[in-house]
Amino acid sequence: MPPIRVHLKLLKVLAALLASLAVALASAQDHDPNGSLTFATNADPTLNPWNASAVIESNLINTILFDQLVRYDPTDLHPAPGLAESWETAADGLSWTFHLRPEAKWSDGVPFTADDVVFTFNDAILNKDLGARNASGFAPVDRVVKVDDHTVVFELNRPFSSLPYFLAYYAGIIPAHVLGDAENPLTVASFNKGNPVVTGPYRVGEFVPGAYVKLVPNENYWGPAPKLASITFNIIPDGNAQIAQLLAGGLDMVSITNPALLAGVANNPNLEVIRQSQNIWYFVALNLNDERFQDVRVRQALLSAIDRPAIIDAVLEGYGVVATGPIAPLQQALYDDEVAKWPYDPEKAKELLAEAGWTPGPDGVLQKDGQRFVIDMPTGQYGYLVPSTLLVQQYWQDIGVEAKVETIEWNAFIQKAVVNRDYDAMLAWWSTPPTPDQSSYFASSGAVTGNNIPDYRDPVLDEIWERGRAATSQEEQVAVYREAQERMAEQLPYLFLWYPDMIAVKNTRIGGMHDINSAANFQYSYDWYVTR
Amino acid sequence: MTAFIVRRVLMGVVVLWLVSVVTFFLIHLAPGGPSAAISFDSTAEQREALLKQFGLYDPPLVRYGKWIVGTVRGDLGVSYNQGLPVGQLLMQRLPNTLTLGLAALVAATLLGLLLGTLAAVYRNGWVDHVVSTISTLGMSIPGFWLGIVAIILFAVQLRWLPASGIVSSSGAGSLVDRLRHLVLPAGVLAFTLMPNVVRVTRSALLEVNRADYVRTAKGKGLAPGTVLFKHAFKNALVPVLAVLGLVTTALFSGSVVIESVFGWPGLGRLAIEAANGRDYPVILGATLLAGLIVVVVNLLVDLLYAAVDPRIRHE
Repeated sequence: MPPIRVHLKLLKVLAALLASLAVALASAQDHDPNGSLTFATNADPTLNPWNASAVIESNLINTILFDQLVRYDPTDLHPAPGLAESWETAADGLSWTFHLRPEAKWSDGVPFTADDVVFTFNDAILNKDLGARNASGFAPVDRVVKVDDHTVVFELNRPFSSLPYFLAYYAGIIPAHVLGDAENPLTVASFNKGNPVVTGPYRVGEFVPGAYVKLVPNENYWGPAPKLASITFNIIPDGNAQIAQLLAGGLDMVSITNPALLAGVANNPNLEVIRQSQNIWYFVALNLNDERFQDVRVRQALLSAIDRPAIIDAVLEGYGVVATGPIAPLQQALYDDEVAKWPYDPEKAKELLAEAGWTPGPDGVLQKDGQRFVIDMPTGQYGYLVPSTLLVQQYWQDIGVEAKVETIEWNAFIQKAVVNRDYDAMLAWWSTPPTPDQSSYFASSGAVTGNNIPDYRDPVLDEIWERGRAATSQEEQVAVYREAQERMAEQLPYLFLWYPDMIAVKNTRIGGMHDINSAANFQYSYDWYVTR
Repeated sequence: MTAFIVRRVLMGVVVLWLVSVVTFFLIHLAPGGPSAAISFDSTAEQREALLKQFGLYDPPLVRYGKWIVGTVRGDLGVSYNQGLPVGQLLMQRLPNTLTLGLAALVAATLLGLLLGTLAAVYRNGWVDHVVSTISTLGMSIPGFWLGIVAIILFAVQLRWLPASGIVSSSGAGSLVDRLRHLVLPAGVLAFTLMPNVVRVTRSALLEVNRADYVRTAKGKGLAPGTVLFKHAFKNALVPVLAVLGLVTTALFSGSVVIESVFGWPGLGRLAIEAANGRDYPVILGATLLAGLIVVVVNLLVDLLYAAVDPRIRHE
């Protein structure tokens, strides 16, 4: 009965309109025009998203300051217009055209144009001598060409259907008219550590080194007017001190990296704990240059031996779910739940190892051809890597595999495990854009020198990733990436552990936040307000 | 006297040079590298580009040579991870550490002298026991633990004082705001340093009390207060001064911990961050500056000896 359906649709639209009107009215009444928010960051930020030192302490501040061509839709994390109003890809997938917002301006009043995009990519990110951060994500991009002031074309060396996702992932555009003459546009101190020219809703008002960065509304912002008088990031290196400040009322929101710290805030009526999702997967990487791990049964056995739900309960306080691959459930249709899962089953683990020729030796440790199954497992002091590693060690001990855990300082751990690939097994995580294209962590081309840490080489999987890059329609992508997930769940290039929830605690006086994901939330900072 | 000062200054230069050599080669022996380049998600290509920018492909001797030539000219290089000249970073942080250090030193000295004198005067009485308990606590409780407890008590529970930082963005610039931020870190630091002063003051006073001139003063019938302050105290100050020289060194190592706990943007926190991130030029600069301060303070202490005790002549 079509007429009724139309009516229903109309009613729904009306209801939605009314609801949003009510929300808008409520927020207009409550919202304090002189309100300000105070957050924490753990070190002095570097206010240039492409500087190699601009990492966790800078990401969210730079997200407020530097608008991107593309951002996340705050409802489902799909690409949404940012500085680019729209985009399309050529039929062969080898070029993408982006149409820029003609009304966008820099905070000094100079118009934002195609020159800025060309400069950001060709002169900063793609200039290999600069070592720009996240540059490897744009490896398929050859160069960016200006068509006119408000149109650019990304020319690719191979199809890259996930390009918009990567453009939404900490990929702020930097100003050609300010940094264009610099010898190295990524290391201009007056910009990075002072008062950068930006396109975002807020700009830097004051930067007191070691103390705080205060952002104030950018009068030249192209989008909706910001609703706060200021946003301040206090520099507080210690996580416990951040929580103390939050409890004392000096901070409005804190990200919790260690769920064990949540106990102190759980009962405070002014604070709200929120779970955010992000495409993060924890893993155990087995060094696949080691012959023992090249047998897929050994990898399957080592994963089956680990009780992942128990570790999630014990270490993550329940804030996480078991991982099946690199594509997290937040990717909805693209996430494939129907793959091999390797639930906790020590008996099956022993069987698989026996099939692979590993039998119990006199001391209880498995052996093959007189060699004991001993694994060197370095771990770095960061987050909850050490307790997780020790639990994995216990589970492996239960099936007769001896892991020798060596705890080392974080920087030295990276040097050893990532740079030198000097490990047998190691536990870590990848945090990625919410796109199914996770190829850089698996592709043969990323072995030894790139992000393929286990040095996994699988021509079958390589070929699937290539097809995924070329797939443009959602149906095609779902089909290809299901194939990829099935292959990975079976072959286990990494032992997939869990997808952690990202936890933040915020004051209930804050309104207008998009709790789905912190990057998306900070891309729409002009929505934030404070209730009276 | 002039010859003494010149000799000590020259020795100081040699000491600083040795400090720079040892630091330089020690940090390059440590595993890892500048965190800008040695990050978990870096690729070999990125690492190569960045290490090249930092000049880390030169052999160590060449790098040390370049560094020492620059340093002599007053150029300490540029921080790998912060992108700022090391001299500028040190000058941003030094006043904060001096503020914290001086406040803690003054508090520790005054409190230490007071408690030490009380303990000596009421030797073996209950006052002495209370003082010795307090100084044992100050001596044995680690600064970071005390800092966290102080934050929980004074910032979170009572909400009297801010938990961390040097100023708040809302009260920036106001003296009251700065003082409020100073109280907890300086108090905790002072509490951990004070026992040194207490012990030395007490034992020096007891020693002096047995000296002939004090017995004579008492014999002359001088009031106990006059004996204490005019005769005993002045002479007891020499060992106290000596310990203050040592306390200054302890102050630096103590403030490294305290600055991290209280988010105090001083040299100590800078040094820790630089060490974690293998920011070689900053590590070298901070170590050299700390060394310079220790050398200068010790020289001043030696000169003060002469002022307090005329028998000491620096020839």
